[in-house]
Amino acid sequence: MRHVAASLLAGLLLCGFADARDENQADPDPMAGHQHHAMSGDASGTVMNANTDRLPRDCAAVGEEANFTIHAGREHAAGRPGHIFGMSQHEVRVPPCSRVSVTFVNDDEVRHQWMVHGLPRYLYPGGMFHIEVAGGHQRTGTFIVPGEDRTYLIHCDIAQHMEKGMRGQLVVGAGSGDLWGVAGISDDFYRSSYLPGATWAWLAAALAAGLVLGFALLRRPAGSAEK
Amino acid sequence: MKRRTALWAFAIVLAAVSYPPHWYPETLRLQLTRLFGASDDRPLPPSVPPRAPGAGAEPEVYCPPDPEGWREAHEIEGVTIERVDSCVADNPWLLAASVRGTNNVSAETLMKSGLTADAVEVGADLDGDGDPDEIHIRLEVAELNGGSAIVPGPVTRYAIAPGIEPGLWVFAPKLHGMAVENIESQQARPELRLPSPAIRVEQGDRVRITLENSHYMPHTIHLHGADHGFVDVTGEGNDGVPLTSEVPVVPGAARTYELQPREAGTMFYHCHVQPHVHVQMGLQGLFVIEDNRPDNWVQTLNPGAGQVRVRSAESRAAYAAEFDLHYLDLDRQLGERIRAHNDPRLITRSMHRDYDVTDATQDYFTVNGRSFPYTFRESLVTGNEGDRLKLRVVNGGVNGIALHTHGHKFTVTHRDGVPLPEGLRTPQDVAWLATAQRLDLDLRLVNDGLNAYGPGIWLFHDHGNRGVTNDGIGPGGNISAIAYGKYLQSDGWPKNQGVSWDNYFTAAYYRREVPVWHNYLPGLLDDTGTDRWLLWRLVGLALAGGILLALLWGAVVSRRSPR
Repeated sequence: MRHVAASLLAGLLLCGFADARDENQADPDPMAGHQHHAMSGDASGTVMNANTDRLPRDCAAVGEEANFTIHAGREHAAGRPGHIFGMSQHEVRVPPCSRVSVTFVNDDEVRHQWMVHGLPRYLYPGGMFHIEVAGGHQRTGTFIVPGEDRTYLIHCDIAQHMEKGMRGQLVVGAGSGDLWGVAGISDDFYRSSYLPGATWAWLAAALAAGLVLGFALLRRPAGSAEK
Repeated sequence: MKRRTALWAFAIVLAAVSYPPHWYPETLRLQLTRLFGASDDRPLPPSVPPRAPGAGAEPEVYCPPDPEGWREAHEIEGVTIERVDSCVADNPWLLAASVRGTNNVSAETLMKSGLTADAVEVGADLDGDGDPDEIHIRLEVAELNGGSAIVPGPVTRYAIAPGIEPGLWVFAPKLHGMAVENIESQQARPELRLPSPAIRVEQGDRVRITLENSHYMPHTIHLHGADHGFVDVTGEGNDGVPLTSEVPVVPGAARTYELQPREAGTMFYHCHVQPHVHVQMGLQGLFVIEDNRPDNWVQTLNPGAGQVRVRSAESRAAYAAEFDLHYLDLDRQLGERIRAHNDPRLITRSMHRDYDVTDATQDYFTVNGRSFPYTFRESLVTGNEGDRLKLRVVNGGVNGIALHTHGHKFTVTHRDGVPLPEGLRTPQDVAWLATAQRLDLDLRLVNDGLNAYGPGIWLFHDHGNRGVTNDGIGPGGNISAIAYGKYLQSDGWPKNQGVSWDNYFTAAYYRREVPVWHNYLPGLLDDTGTDRWLLWRLVGLALAGGILLALLWGAVVSRRSPR
């Protein structure tokens, strides 16, 4: 019941929430280059905007050291119908001000990316931290998250990879609410339709049944009143 | 009872008065004319300005600025990159890296190129003639204007013309970083575009092409017309045909195709998985094999085809410039299927079982990945009086095209990559290109009344009527032009002397919302206002009809059950 109430509330607030789909992507300076900042790498991969020591303004010191190994590739979408690509972990939870090291392992033979959006621009050009790994390789990158409770988008920005499964979230502290469409965490904002072809027949039958039932219920009390 | 009679009378009078006199029977109208003459003048409804004259109808900038100077001549990594006279040009650092090899250029050039370090790997000079003969190209598959479960509208957006964003699949050079310029606009970066890049190698090169299938469907590469073995040295299939040579490259996997072409010529490559769908989605590109010449560094990748800025030794010796022209028609309803669903199983069903190509018609007609008016930004054939230009043309479309040049007669020198004998090389101004056919054209800008009629902005286009429209709205389609230098502004936009193009740079025009001649004949042939006089009469007639029906119903009911 609580779920129903929550759905109704969500429905009422949908317009307000729609903007929050990707609020962490909001980018006041969209033309800021994403490609050419603080990049280190070779044919096997690159790490962009790595930051091991510069503190976000709202952090007095580095909090925890948080280390993750995340695998990417087609095999990690197994068990998720309709997903083609996936990650071994779509949600990363860290305490505020953590120093996060991610070892991104690519189990496919094509490029994959682990890209975080919405980080402070004074530390991360374009607001992003990005690991890109060629097929069959791995890379480790480190960055420091701000102190604020917030949920950041993680994705692979190769065309259609996010749409077909490689969408995750980085939750700092308590986070700021789940993002839509995170594999295994949250629903799609726009769900495809999986209704059977005979849906109209079901609806027509239900409508007819409702009519019969309605007439039957309306007639009976009238008859009993005459007796 | 009295009220009912009054109502009958009112309804009949209302009907009689409302009935439009010019709907009376013609004989009655003539009788009345004899008595009263013609009716008084009732002016026809005035012309109305096009709807939505607000912000949405502002025309786009014809010729976008070139802040990085990509159009200029460059010398990068020792590679001389020719200037582009039209408005929009490719990233010269990408071209230089594709010539020298992404494994041979500085980190700075590589970064500016956008390519990964293994996108075009260049190896040894096997024949010792001063240029590399081992070439390894890596291609990915990108979906443009696809669907999403998170945002409405297309993602990784690519417009072929104002407001026209058909769903597309393309082979793409292996690029590092994001697929989009920025995540808010979802605009695809410039290198992710239609058509798939033209590929250039030298005759005799040991070429390896690795398809890294980054897409969610299986794909292959079939080297159409280029000399390649059915199997490679290990015995694995090398023809890209799932029926006969090998299993396709599944999502997330890679496969390398090998060839060492013995013959030069203009060839073709395309996906051969469900080819009736995949080829017309855009998985096709030019594959050019240049003659083997000493010190012949060719432009391995030509993103979006168009002007070849690093030309082969042969081209430099005989021609002033060279252009790749890739024609492709598209079915709007097919492209829409990739964004009707996000679930790839539903897309697969929709594209490969629900879609029936035998019932389909093409709606958009592109040359080098754009339709008019965008063709004038980047697919002009430019030159000056006396120049000899080489055009390599492929028709990758479902329909044949009747390629026609205004003001010029060209000569077909090669068909399907094979030179034609001298006796067949007669000047012509229409050439038929069947599906997948290639022609090499020799275009001489010699003002002698045969080859050319002098400088100007001379259109060239498919002379078929559909080909010069965007989904039936003209001008559109694959219209481009042979533009002489003296008719080009410094920014590359042609000095057109005709009508304003504001309409054509407005998406609403191609949505059929703008009268075609509004911008220079405002009012004369615009949309009309409505005939309110007639509308009110019809409303009155309908009201009378309603009342009469109600009265009739009442009469029937009262007769059945008399009180």
